[in-house]
Amino acid sequence: MQDSIVREITVKASKERVYKAITDPKEIISWFPDAVEDGTLEVGQRPIFVFSNEEHKTRIYVEAARPFEYFAYRWVPGGAGITGDVLAVPNTLVEFYIVELEVGTKITMKESGFASLPAEVAQESLNQNNGGWDHMMSRLEKVMNQE
Amino acid sequence: MPVFELFRALGDPCRLEMVHRLSAGELHTITSVSNGLEISRQGARKHLQILADADLIHFESKGRETTVRLDREKLEQGRAFIVELEARWDRRLEALRQYVDDETVARTPL
Repeated sequence: MQDSIVREITVKASKERVYKAITDPKEIISWFPDAVEDGTLEVGQRPIFVFSNEEHKTRIYVEAARPFEYFAYRWVPGGAGITGDVLAVPNTLVEFYIVELEVGTKITMKESGFASLPAEVAQESLNQNNGGWDHMMSRLEKVMNQE
Repeated sequence: MPVFELFRALGDPCRLEMVHRLSAGELHTITSVSNGLEISRQGARKHLQILADADLIHFESKGRETTVRLDREKLEQGRAFIVELEARWDRRLEALRQYVDDETVARTPL
């Protein structure tokens, strides 16, 4: 068990291309949600992601966007289907880091905050607790693997 | 959101140490599970109550003593949740890779 999920993938496309695929509502629906409703993907917006195959809608909060290198939003993962105020409930932060390599572009996705405190203090706790939590979780993982 | 309660319950060094002790399989009382953690008896009860509210532990009365038992199934649920989310992200990122690398797809929206 852990407080964050990190996934990395390298693509051939440029960082500009990748950034657009992640942050343009018309493009993101080609690979992620099936529709983006009730808002855009600009900072501060709270659109709804519609997943037809998983049959749910979930509201996100766009937290940060820095062209061609970084995009971040908050949501409640796992198909909970939150369409109200996502910041009012325990949520996770999903971050995309885009780095251009000599050949290709590296995309790192990090989803963190599974142990998040209520939203009003979540940001602070993420900044302060990260190392400690990872350490604790790796210990717990060891314990569980001993069985 | 039960799974978030679970993660939040685990997100504290004291409570994680308690879970660690309980996972070793020995029978624990409220005293033995909180021994040496530099918290008051009242503090220990508070932490244990948070674990109990998340269904991670159960209290059982045996004679005069209350014993504490870890719910391994609940702990496993937390891990299964993360494993499922990881699998979803793998599928999504693969879809993103196919989308941005597929030269045959028009690059400008109509």
